[in-house]
Amino acid sequence: MLNNLELKYCKRCLYSTAHPLGLTLDGEGVCSGCRIHEEKDTLDWDERFEKLKALVEPYKCNTGKNYDCIVPVSGGVDSYFIVHTVKNILKLNPLLVTYNNYWNTPLGIKNLANLRIKFNCDILYQNINPISVKKITRSTLRRFGSVYWHCIAGQTVFPVQTSITSRIPLIIWGGHQGIEQVGMFSHEHEVEMTRRYRKDHDLMGFEADDLLSIFDTIQEEDIWQYRYPSDADMNEVGVRGIYLSNYVRWDPKEQHETMIDQFGYRTTQFDRTFDCYDFVDCFNYMNLHDLLKLYKHGYSKVTDHATREIRHNRITRNQGLALVKKYEQSEIKYIDHFCNWISIKPHSLQWMMDAHRNPKYWSESSFRKWNFNGVSKQRIEVGSGRDVVDPSFIVTDDDRFDFTITNYITIGKGYL
Amino acid sequence: MLKKRLIGVITVKDGLAVQSIGYRRYLPLGKPWCIAENLDRWGADEILVLSIDRTEKNIGPDYKLLSSLAKAKLTTPLIYGGGISNKNEANKVIHAGADRICLDALLHERPRLVREIADVLGVQAIIGALPLSKIGDGVQWYNYRTKKSGKFTDELIKLFSDGMMSEALIIDWKNEGRLNSFDDSIIKNVPFNVPQIVFGGISEQSQMNKLLACGSVSAISVGNFLNYKEHAVQKIRLSLSKQNIRSALFESD
Repeated sequence: MLNNLELKYCKRCLYSTAHPLGLTLDGEGVCSGCRIHEEKDTLDWDERFEKLKALVEPYKCNTGKNYDCIVPVSGGVDSYFIVHTVKNILKLNPLLVTYNNYWNTPLGIKNLANLRIKFNCDILYQNINPISVKKITRSTLRRFGSVYWHCIAGQTVFPVQTSITSRIPLIIWGGHQGIEQVGMFSHEHEVEMTRRYRKDHDLMGFEADDLLSIFDTIQEEDIWQYRYPSDADMNEVGVRGIYLSNYVRWDPKEQHETMIDQFGYRTTQFDRTFDCYDFVDCFNYMNLHDLLKLYKHGYSKVTDHATREIRHNRITRNQGLALVKKYEQSEIKYIDHFCNWISIKPHSLQWMMDAHRNPKYWSESSFRKWNFNGVSKQRIEVGSGRDVVDPSFIVTDDDRFDFTITNYITIGKGYL
Repeated sequence: MLKKRLIGVITVKDGLAVQSIGYRRYLPLGKPWCIAENLDRWGADEILVLSIDRTEKNIGPDYKLLSSLAKAKLTTPLIYGGGISNKNEANKVIHAGADRICLDALLHERPRLVREIADVLGVQAIIGALPLSKIGDGVQWYNYRTKKSGKFTDELIKLFSDGMMSEALIIDWKNEGRLNSFDDSIIKNVPFNVPQIVFGGISEQSQMNKLLACGSVSAISVGNFLNYKEHAVQKIRLSLSKQNIRSALFESD
């Protein structure tokens, strides 16, 4: 837990003060995330979009010799909507950049290929030496219970590095996680990308150089690609990262459904959440990474998804809690894929994961038998089986990630 | 001539760095040490960390927070405020890594202890925090625990007039966290002559220019707004290049 507060719950959503990004409750017991979400129904979004148009105008490259902006993308999450907004509505010429996390699903590869073809954009891929990536993953798993550090570090630094090397100052991101989840800023603050936010929240307080230790095998040659550019270089190019969600009423479900309809974005079902849209590109996000989140923070991604849907008034809080209880303890899949990739035995992996179970939420009743007392168990309200509703997400591909694939697609050029 | 300073403020509540808006609304920001480390790299002249719930909860200074700030190996001078109620605690705060301390409740409730602290630490290490608002023709200080404003007592005025504090932190508490809203009439109505650090709703270049031009103002301090953009400190310095403040520095490899 980031703060010193005892566990308290928002009266509207499913978040508690244990949220790792930090969460405040007001005098009425409503959380900062729900309060900031209210702005989505009070701000004049047409006016805000006009502000965005004016903001990006000076970045248009009139000579045609360079791109207008950089858009970080993947084969999942909000990539289609961002590129659609940037290319088709703002009429910018973006350079797409993507960090290869090596855990690609066939669906993610297809989505990314379709993205660059449908929107007719140039794209840069960053493939870091996989030996270094594996060393980093072993280290971050052992030290702070994260297999995803390298993914987030790569996704958040490669666009900034490209901005400097290609001298394209403007980077356009989609949603701001801190605003969407915990209401860290008002939309009107028009917060921009900062190195501090990346270190503090995306990277859990550890930048690349913080991984170097005399007690580890990671060397400088393994981490330098993840280093944030210097302030002097950033200033010289005038790097600036903005978030579309400050200027567009952000609703991922609605946006994805438009992208499915108009541009053929492909989706699938998951075992650990009802949302079928977000992380279809990665074998591990909704599996190993999600289980580690439950171990460390006492809740998992389904709580994020349910909270989002509650705030958009598409489900009630009890229905959200029932969905959380339905999905939260589901078995994870593709452990063998991960163990093969990183060369570790499943029981060794489990031993390392167990070391990161938060004693606030987990107790070991007997050898390797764990009892869960996480956020969903501590709530007074009961979201029962009767409350489970179908949140109506569109599934385009029934075969999940294609079970015939026994390994990650480490490099995938793309096929449709 | 001494340069005027730009101070980065970190407001901490329940151990979490927050945006504070009008002394009543709070939005989460992150880890205080991470924000301090960033202000250090950006070249703030001082970092002011205010733990706003320590006195109200009667739990003393936040030594855990100070320890985390010490581990960040800051080179920027650190001011700490929150929960200090006697000279021993003040001393411990300095030993925990703060260069100066900031006092609020103690000024009003036990001014004698402020003199004792000044004897131990020296007045250069003490800043008096005054959340103020314009009421009628004058200004009144705001007691954040009772949520009431009151007039300056003679004892408080004497404390400042006797030089028991090196600077006064003048806070426009009503406009704190609101863009471009600092009420500069407040600083003209303070009934004693002590160098002033101004805080609360200061976000724009024109405001800063005006405030820095005041002879009584020794520093401007900015909190929430430094978290909105990259290189916020350097950008302020660049925009105030004609003022008597340090120029912007961008760290290179």
